[in-house]
Amino acid sequence: MTAQNLMNPNPVTLRPTDTVATAATHILTHRLRHLPVVDDQGRYLGTFSIYSLLRLTLPKAVIMEEGLRDVSFTTETIDGLARRLRERGSEPVGQWLSQDDPVMHPDTPTMEVMLLMLRGRTTSVPVVDQHSNRLEGIIAFWDVLEKLLVETR
Amino acid sequence: MHDSGEIASAGSMWLAAILFVITYAVVMSERVNRAIVALVAAGLMIILGILNQEAAIRGIDFNTIGLLIGMMVIVAITRQSGIFQFLAIWSAKKVNASPWGILVMISLVTAVTSAFLDNVTTVLLVVPVTLLITEELKANPYPYLFSMIFSSNIGGTATLIGDPPNIMIGSATGLTFNDFGYHLTPAIIVVQIATLIPIYLIWGRKLKATAEDRQRVMAFNEFEAITDWRLLKQCLSVIGLVVFGFIFAKWLRLEAATIAIFGAAALLLLVNLGKSADEQSKHVLAAFNEVEWITIFFFVGLFIVVHGVDSTGLLKVLAEKMIALTGGNLSATAVIILWSSAILSAIIDNIPFVATMIPLIKAMAPSFGGPEGLMPLWWALSLGACLGGNGTLIGASANLVVAGFAERAGQPIRFMQYTLMAFPIMLLSIAISTVYLFWRYL
Repeated sequence: MTAQNLMNPNPVTLRPTDTVATAATHILTHRLRHLPVVDDQGRYLGTFSIYSLLRLTLPKAVIMEEGLRDVSFTTETIDGLARRLRERGSEPVGQWLSQDDPVMHPDTPTMEVMLLMLRGRTTSVPVVDQHSNRLEGIIAFWDVLEKLLVETR
Repeated sequence: MHDSGEIASAGSMWLAAILFVITYAVVMSERVNRAIVALVAAGLMIILGILNQEAAIRGIDFNTIGLLIGMMVIVAITRQSGIFQFLAIWSAKKVNASPWGILVMISLVTAVTSAFLDNVTTVLLVVPVTLLITEELKANPYPYLFSMIFSSNIGGTATLIGDPPNIMIGSATGLTFNDFGYHLTPAIIVVQIATLIPIYLIWGRKLKATAEDRQRVMAFNEFEAITDWRLLKQCLSVIGLVVFGFIFAKWLRLEAATIAIFGAAALLLLVNLGKSADEQSKHVLAAFNEVEWITIFFFVGLFIVVHGVDSTGLLKVLAEKMIALTGGNLSATAVIILWSSAILSAIIDNIPFVATMIPLIKAMAPSFGGPEGLMPLWWALSLGACLGGNGTLIGASANLVVAGFAERAGQPIRFMQYTLMAFPIMLLSIAISTVYLFWRYL
């Protein structure tokens, strides 16, 4: 069995021009943690995730490389953070993608799929065609778990 | 400087000179890591027979190396306490979070911290919290970052341990921590204040923030920035003792490297007391990992290369040429050293430059009545080499670190845009230094 058999071939996707607000709505209504972003040709560009949303709510000085490691001295309320997220709500998601998350190919073996999830501490991994870079589907941890439990039964 | 085991002939003089020039050129090109360049060149100095291994090792100034490593370890441990964030926030609140007040205070914190710590470390610690403050104030971070570059290089000039050129000069001449404080700090205070004037005129008077945004900064609790009070107390006690050691080094008959390395060892002992062997290994390794080994090995290689060149008598010839040029006039020599160091340090790394100038200036001693007569020249070299680094974005490593932060914060500092403002302000600091040298020594 490979990634091909495990994946959901019709995942919810975003375009890079979709706004942060749209993405947030998808995340909240479908309770999805990772949304793959694709271009007009269906090529995979990166992932907009709940972590992208968290980054959007925080000041740049905190999320940047070698930024502040500890901000326990700040006293900002949830209103302040919400305001920052609102201000950025109309920005396109294209700027906030994480591109270094692991991806799989349709022929990635099942064990490798699980290892990637464990190492990357991620619950869903996009499946991308090696040559065309097209998004073929997405594997959520739940899909894998379901198959595992069904097999053992 | 002609030890046995070092061959000096016209042939080796040329060979050493060529190797030296190539080393400089490759370091400047930045195509190969500078530690690699210096070590390869040092190896060639030995393999080509200009120095033997024994002479090469004698050329390494272990006092400089030890002082650098010791201070780096102390800082690596101290930074974990959050004291630097505390200082930045505390100073910002002292001026009621007014945008110009914060710029002045952050600049002063940077200058004072740089006087005792490595400049790169200082900006690594102070820039992120400054960016958070400017973000809260919705102020343009550019003038803050610009001023921090200047303050880190200016503050670093004030003490023996503030900047590598001073460490090298102190180590090579026996000038003490107190000598540097007594002779350089007054000039540095004037330069720091004078630098803030153009910054005020260009940006400062236009800085504004709403009362609401200022209130957000005022709401920061600086005491929460201290992550570990016990660690902080340990660090401050050791740093206090180390500074005490530097001040009384002459009476204690201790050299700077002994004080710094002993301080580092004492701090490592304090923070690891009562920990398991495994935890101790982890802590010690983490502290050693923060030592900038690239800088350390760059120094090691460079010392050997410069010693090789020096051993052939080439630098002595150059010193004589320079004396001939100035007619043996001390004032003229000091002014030439000050201005040429400043302009060169704005373009090239000041570490190899100072490493070369030290033996060259030492060779001038006979013309100026012995080593005592060289004092103004050492201060000229230090002021020129350290302050000159402000002239361009590549003049000092701290500048590049700040530029990296600016880039990530979405406010990049452009090379030409920086130089157009910074070079004239740097020249102003050198003009002040010239007046200072004339007033006090010439």
